[in-house]
Amino acid sequence: MGEVILQMIDIDKRFPGVHALNKVSFDVKRGEVHALMGENGAGKSTLMKVLTGIYTKDSGSIVFEGKEVEFHGAREAQDAGVVIVHQELNMVGHLTVAQNIFIGREFKKGIRIDDKKMNEEAAKLFEKLNINIDPTATMSDLTVGKQQMCEIAKAISHDAKVIIFDEPTAALTESEIEDLFKIIRDLRKQQMAIVYISHRMDEIKVITDRVTVMRDGCYVGTLVTEESTKDDIINMMVGRIIYEEPKTKSRVPDDAPVVLRVDHLNAGRMVQDVSFELRKGEILGFSGLMGAGRTETARAIFGADPKESGEIFVNGKKTVINSPEDAVKAGIGYLSEDRKRFGIVVQKTIAENTTMADLGNYMKGIFIDKKKEKKVAKEFVDSLSTKTPSVDQLVVNLSGGNQQKVVIAKWLCKNCDILIFDEPTRGIDVGAKNEIYKLMNKLAAEGKSIIMISSEMTEILRMSDRIVVMCEGKKTGELRIEDTTQEKIMNLATRDIN
Amino acid sequence: MDLIKKIKENPIIKKLGFNRIVLACVLVLMYLILSLMVDNFAGMPRIMSALNYVYFLGFLSLGVTFVIATGGIDFSIGPVMFCCALVSGYSLTSLGVPMLPSLILSLIVGLLFGMMNGYLVAYWKVPPFIVSMASMNIAKGVASVFTKTQSVSWPQAAKGGWFRSLVKVGKFPVGIIVFLVVAAICSIILNHTKAGRYILSLGSNREAVRLSGVDTKKWEMLAYAICGVLVGIAAIYFVGAYTTVQPGYGDQYNNEAIAGCVMGGTSMAGGLASIGGTVIGVFIIALLQEGILALGFTKDYQLIITGLIVIVAVYADVMARRRKN
Amino acid sequence: MGNRKIPAKLLKQEVIVFIVVIALLGFFCVASPDFRKYTTILTIMDYSYYIVLMAIGVSFPLITGGVDLSIGTGLVCYSLAGGYLIVHKGWPTGAAMVVSLLFGIIIGLINGILIGVMGLPPFLATLCTCMITRGLGSICSNNFGISWPTTGQPGSWFRSIFKLTIGDTKIPLGFVWVLLLAILMHFVLNHTKIGRYTIAIGSNKEAAILSGINVKFYHIMAYVISGFFAALASIAYSAVFATVLPGTGAGFELEAIGGAIIGGVSATGGAGSIIGTLIGVFVICLLKTGLPFIGLQANWQQIVTGVVLIGSVMVDIIKKRKESRK
Repeated sequence: MGEVILQMIDIDKRFPGVHALNKVSFDVKRGEVHALMGENGAGKSTLMKVLTGIYTKDSGSIVFEGKEVEFHGAREAQDAGVVIVHQELNMVGHLTVAQNIFIGREFKKGIRIDDKKMNEEAAKLFEKLNINIDPTATMSDLTVGKQQMCEIAKAISHDAKVIIFDEPTAALTESEIEDLFKIIRDLRKQQMAIVYISHRMDEIKVITDRVTVMRDGCYVGTLVTEESTKDDIINMMVGRIIYEEPKTKSRVPDDAPVVLRVDHLNAGRMVQDVSFELRKGEILGFSGLMGAGRTETARAIFGADPKESGEIFVNGKKTVINSPEDAVKAGIGYLSEDRKRFGIVVQKTIAENTTMADLGNYMKGIFIDKKKEKKVAKEFVDSLSTKTPSVDQLVVNLSGGNQQKVVIAKWLCKNCDILIFDEPTRGIDVGAKNEIYKLMNKLAAEGKSIIMISSEMTEILRMSDRIVVMCEGKKTGELRIEDTTQEKIMNLATRDIN
Repeated sequence: MDLIKKIKENPIIKKLGFNRIVLACVLVLMYLILSLMVDNFAGMPRIMSALNYVYFLGFLSLGVTFVIATGGIDFSIGPVMFCCALVSGYSLTSLGVPMLPSLILSLIVGLLFGMMNGYLVAYWKVPPFIVSMASMNIAKGVASVFTKTQSVSWPQAAKGGWFRSLVKVGKFPVGIIVFLVVAAICSIILNHTKAGRYILSLGSNREAVRLSGVDTKKWEMLAYAICGVLVGIAAIYFVGAYTTVQPGYGDQYNNEAIAGCVMGGTSMAGGLASIGGTVIGVFIIALLQEGILALGFTKDYQLIITGLIVIVAVYADVMARRRKN
Repeated sequence: MGNRKIPAKLLKQEVIVFIVVIALLGFFCVASPDFRKYTTILTIMDYSYYIVLMAIGVSFPLITGGVDLSIGTGLVCYSLAGGYLIVHKGWPTGAAMVVSLLFGIIIGLINGILIGVMGLPPFLATLCTCMITRGLGSICSNNFGISWPTTGQPGSWFRSIFKLTIGDTKIPLGFVWVLLLAILMHFVLNHTKIGRYTIAIGSNKEAAILSGINVKFYHIMAYVISGFFAALASIAYSAVFATVLPGTGAGFELEAIGGAIIGGVSATGGAGSIIGTLIGVFVICLLKTGLPFIGLQANWQQIVTGVVLIGSVMVDIIKKRKESRK
């Protein structure tokens, strides 16, 4: 390992309502693989986005190669030698590998692009990195793993000095991960500085030199990988004092009937043989890190996405669900995590959104009974304390929290007994959050059954009677609230094949 | 700018719609200017001529409003209208089909085309512009083949052409009544029925509606089917006013119908539609066409001007949406 | 050598379409003895020039994921404009041709700016310019049909570019030029920045922007190319047909766009080859000229073309669905 090549000092960044980065410091040395870890929302991506200029920091400084710098965009950072390899690859599927690597700076012979030279240069590049890819292959024909290697090769060809990998192995097979590690080791030997963002404990142990942990926008600490254990790291990731009372005891009697049973659900890579039960009056928390497959599982259950196999039993009866229509008829409601796109109908009013799932019951002959619609909507606005001057307001004009209440009202209006909340309080301020928690508890007390997908540890601990933990498409564990700790959850949520 | 804001907040203005009021003013203004520039513009013959244009174009615009409300497009409406008129007209004049069934046939042909378009867009996810292109030409071809490439002239009132009284009785423009009534029905459908609710909602957030348990494909196809029926009605009014139709034509009305619709405040992105605005928009286009002819210009200038109007209207819509984001 | 290796998927499509062409040829030859004459080939050639040229040009907007609906009425407009200068203002044919080409480039530029800079939906922007050129064309010619100089008149040399008469035989020379242009544009698409970035825009516009490409410029270029080729097509059209009538042209774009899509250009952008477009257009031309020989009026061709277009898009969609399931 060489000297420090990049230093981020006291970086601070606020967004409306959230202190995303709280005087975070981070540095990386030449010839080092430095892991950056933390839960969802800890600030890892935000920090990297500040580094590459996608976000502007509020205060703090960045020192690169001894000089203070400020990048104003990914391109500028790339030109200077700081490159991110994203999770979503930015490749042009219809062009070849070599064409993608040199896009924007093609070799030319007069007016003609010299593809021959590009192929040769690409081949040379691959040889240097010990990658086995045909430069003339079409990008969209390659596996995700190979595409990612192309992205790496592209970064190197830009004379990268610092490469940031954002969850690089999420979509790779075992052998592809081996290949990736070989490349990373080679790069390390060549004095490249590498930042490795990942939640996979086993990989951290194998490939990294140091580990920096962030939590809730703050820098927690840096450990030397060799000298630390998985528990050390997990403690740093979750070691927060929880000010709100976590639930200490499940309110659901042990003999409560099972309202939903999911058996061996399979839907692609993100949902692998998932089975669980939901009991009446229960709030079942679904915990896990991003990419764990919780949303995909919910959508598969709800019929929003096709599934390969698996059976669903509602109140003991086998139920065929192939579309959201089927699910709604079976009494299941789903609140999508992307509220603005998939939750509300932007051009419609509160009243109109409220009856969207149950319009059949608001008809007077062939006409919509708007009076009844408004009356019912008003009732929900009152009972949910939705802040709005009237039910004729366009939903898009409400705040996030109030929009969420309208979506909840929609499912309550349909009288769904099973509700799946996907990140119910994302982007909502603290006051509204508490109201939604109160509401969820009330619903559960009234006998409704809730699945709550959440990436917020405090929320999971506060609301759940039981917790299902998922990691990379598989259910890794189930915990009762009585014997749950943050550490236990995080253990199950992070991949560790050792 | 604050004054405009204040005006917009006024409850009466809100109910009638700020945009629609502006459009109505534009209409009145146009009328006044043209009356000044052209002798006898306010005279009956000109008004009747303009109204003839309003009828068929109005039904076309109403139809395409439903399609645009879903976020799609249908520019086969002109040729399909001609196909309806030709097929039913040929049945009437050469195949001995009586008047009433012929009129109904016109609606059926329109409906079939609408259903075909809707099926391809909603269930197969074929890009609407391709469906329109193909449908447009299939309509022209079908019309040609059916009438053996001959033009068709619908009968005059005296010779059994009682359908003309749908257009006017003596000097009384019955057509206006029918048009406004149908427009009112369309408005009721869009704003007070399940179909309208779902059509507008899926144009705004299709996935959100689907996730609410609604079969969005069915309702999307319905929008195109409704458009088809209205095109069939437009055909009747076209021949009611202009008597003769020839296969191979009809394209120019596509743009004008879309212009009337977009000018009236219907957004190309879907989810937002105004029947009232469409109605006023149609009047403006009809007045424009009449005015241009009255000023001595040819129809071609109207094509150009309409093209420019649509560009401006859609650009305004694009900018408005950008600002919202 | 670089991109000579055409993606396997595309190759399959081109081969399929080629087989379709052969099959159609065979069918018509068997079904109608009149079809097998030399004059038939001439007719097919004549009809093909302007459509092929339009199709080559419109492939570029299609590959960016857009479309150019103004090429049909544009063709008529550019021809009327040039012809007007010859017939009514006594211009030499060559100069009139240049004006036609410039006109096409200008309309293409307008389309490009409306779509690439102002952000209007492609079908709508080009639908408007379609109407506008239709009006302009009629105004240029005062609503009369215009004939470019016919054989025997001064200035008719341009007709022999497309059909050379040596003694008694007529040689479809135009085929050579069109083929050369096709080869040229194939080169542009696969080996120059213009083509490369056109594909990038259609395949992943975000990635193209992030790579520092001046996306707006190349987006506009795609439509300029389309306009230019529509103008070239207008010259071919004027050379082959005696008179150009205002108000026509609507429907030409279906043949060109349909041919391109049948030949493998993706309706959603990113993929396409000029060779495929060429073959696809030939399917259309064969149907157009062949159907009358088996007793179906020319108007059936419109129906058939529409159905074939929808059919090939549906096949494309089914293929995509199968792939995403893997």
